[in-house]
Amino acid sequence: MTDNAAPDRLTTTFAGTRGPLFRKALWGSLWTILTLGFYRFWLKTKLRRWYWSAIRPGGTPMEYVGDPLEKLLGFFLAVVVLAFYIGVVNLILMFASLSLLASNFTAYFVSFLGVIPIWFYARYRARRYTLARSRWRGVRFGLKPGAWGYAFRALWHWIVTLLTLGALWPRKTFYLEKYMTDRTVFGSANLHQGGQWQMLMPAFVHVLIGAALLAVATFETWQGNLRVTYLYALAGPWFVYGVIHYTVEAKRILANHKTAGSLGLRADPDRLKITRIYVFGYLATTICALLPVVPIITLVGMIENERLNAIYDPTIDTDLIYGLPVSVWTALGIIAYFAVFLIWGVLRHCFVTMPLWRHYAETLTIEHPSALAAVSQKDRDEFAEAEGFAEALDLWGAI
Amino acid sequence: MTERTIITVDGPASPAAPARRVRGQCLYLDGDTAQPQACPFEYADAGQALLIAHQGTTLRWPYADLRALRDQAGDQMIIRLADDPTQRLIIDTPEDRDLIRARAKNLDRYASHVKRSKLAMWGLAAVASVALIIFVLVPVMADQLAEYLPPEGEKALGDATFDQIRTALDDTGFSALAICDSRSGVAALTKIETRLTEEMDLETPLTVHVLNHPMINAFALPGGYVVFFRGLIEEAGSPEEVAAVFAHEIGHVVARDPTRIALRSAGSIGVLGLLFGDFAGGAVVLFLAEQIIRADYTQQAEAAADTFAHAALLEADLPPSAIGTFFERLSSEGQQEAGILDHLASHPAMGDRIAAARAAQPEGAKFRPVLDDAEWAALQGICD
Repeated sequence: MTDNAAPDRLTTTFAGTRGPLFRKALWGSLWTILTLGFYRFWLKTKLRRWYWSAIRPGGTPMEYVGDPLEKLLGFFLAVVVLAFYIGVVNLILMFASLSLLASNFTAYFVSFLGVIPIWFYARYRARRYTLARSRWRGVRFGLKPGAWGYAFRALWHWIVTLLTLGALWPRKTFYLEKYMTDRTVFGSANLHQGGQWQMLMPAFVHVLIGAALLAVATFETWQGNLRVTYLYALAGPWFVYGVIHYTVEAKRILANHKTAGSLGLRADPDRLKITRIYVFGYLATTICALLPVVPIITLVGMIENERLNAIYDPTIDTDLIYGLPVSVWTALGIIAYFAVFLIWGVLRHCFVTMPLWRHYAETLTIEHPSALAAVSQKDRDEFAEAEGFAEALDLWGAI
Repeated sequence: MTERTIITVDGPASPAAPARRVRGQCLYLDGDTAQPQACPFEYADAGQALLIAHQGTTLRWPYADLRALRDQAGDQMIIRLADDPTQRLIIDTPEDRDLIRARAKNLDRYASHVKRSKLAMWGLAAVASVALIIFVLVPVMADQLAEYLPPEGEKALGDATFDQIRTALDDTGFSALAICDSRSGVAALTKIETRLTEEMDLETPLTVHVLNHPMINAFALPGGYVVFFRGLIEEAGSPEEVAAVFAHEIGHVVARDPTRIALRSAGSIGVLGLLFGDFAGGAVVLFLAEQIIRADYTQQAEAAADTFAHAALLEADLPPSAIGTFFERLSSEGQQEAGILDHLASHPAMGDRIAAARAAQPEGAKFRPVLDDAEWAALQGICD
């Protein structure tokens, strides 16, 4: 509790457990469904408060001071702007595409392309809002303005990445992270991202091997050489592991090159542990989420089996299930649909997100914390739109 | 927990004695530096405040102004002052948490800094702008643009919409609804089409299909599509009734009503999806897909299509009253309760339309049959 002794490093603890998180996520998700999605601003705020407060570098919890009503306000602001863009621009694109090319696919495609820069813009603004509402030891974080600069750089780095068939992905990771980190502040201290993009390349090697194997397997299968399809069994898992490996390693390397004056970060996440969390976490989440549809599928399957085989006397009355009116089927379908999404969303927090955050937190240390003595408070970033654009665009409906 | 018993006899219980105070320990964040200070504090119940000793000064935090942060993980209690955004007290011991909770009655109050009036204003602005775009801007633009859309564009739009509807109506959800195309049935349908369109000057040739679905309905799509459902062909009492519905749908095609509707939905779907989150998004899509099939045209558009049909039927030597006969059969058989999605029949002014169809037919007019009995049987069996 007393940090005044100023040790030369601060370790981080994680104070959260699954029980309270489960209850929070479950109630919040239920309300979100019942309010046609509008409770999501409250749910998001509550979960962030909880996650932030669980992370305690040097024993002092982070604090999230975001407000649900400001998120709702930001959403309204974004709707006013985006409704015009999505409604009118889509219509004009549709018309142009139909007139000039006699195809509406082009319209959807162009409309999708048109949303991409706004999406990057929204991502930067959302990060700025989140940082502006985050504190540690009472001092505000922040992100300097620069959303359009980020959007144009992101577009450029994506083009380079696509032109090199993804081989230069780490270059994109590095430069975009550097752009954001160099504009991040903690009170009066500026963060700095050191290093070069090449340092991420070794971490990317498993992705490249997996992708190469996938390409070979696909090419050979396409050529009619079906004997090599077993390659997929090797290439698929290798690629998935490669992606996880890269995600963890890139985070670690980038964090280890972040500084703020003489303050430094040291991250030491365990790749295998993270892989285990992803694999078993998503497995458990998916299995549990499918439980609501199991009784329906089982019953239909049993009846169909009896009808098709007719080997033994039908013991199940087929009217039991096929005799139900359409309205009952519709209601069952809607309940099952929402139940699957509800369980999946809630358990993903308990089995994937929380364990990941816990591991990343517990393997993070702050070096030379004596430099914190020079840090003082910064002004509040008012930010009326909150993360409205990101919130609104994070949907199928934007396209 | 012994401290709690001391508190109960504190202060007023024995006025003669000096007020006994209980001390606690907290971590104080001054809201300016990133240096937490371990500070002792006192419960000054007489003054109803916490007195925090901080670097030689005493900070006074009134009980009434203490607020606990919400949704905190673990069991730390973090306290702020109601009107100070940055200072914090971190309370680690369960005893102190209980003592503070017993004193600070407003601990769980939460006030947002967002002004309700501002929120209401922007909420209204969002609803108004969506309404303006969906009900005014998009329809006006769609009506204008529909006039300028070249025939190839209309055809492409119709093709895409036709495929979407076939997929949407298929029970399995994996394939598309079958098109009925028995040779003699198609021949009979073509004969009705030829009879109706002989004298017309259509911009694009019609594309006519029967879909294998029990719905009693017919609709038009951009690019000259006229589509019947099997249910309508089977329900009709005579080929003249089919011809009358056919003429009505050609009326929509000529007026480009379906093109307007399709362009409108292109503009509206994304905007409505914007309003709802991931959870409800799927339901909105389903709802809109159904709206497109229903093709709710305006009353004027329906009346115009009827007027067009009456003239076209007379031109082709066919009785306009057949449409009235068909509507009457539908309502007398109580088909509404059977859950029919039928824009032909669900129109509020159906009685007027039946009357108009009767009125359009000159007294004592003689008509030529459109199909013979064999051809009519073939048409009714087009899906077999």
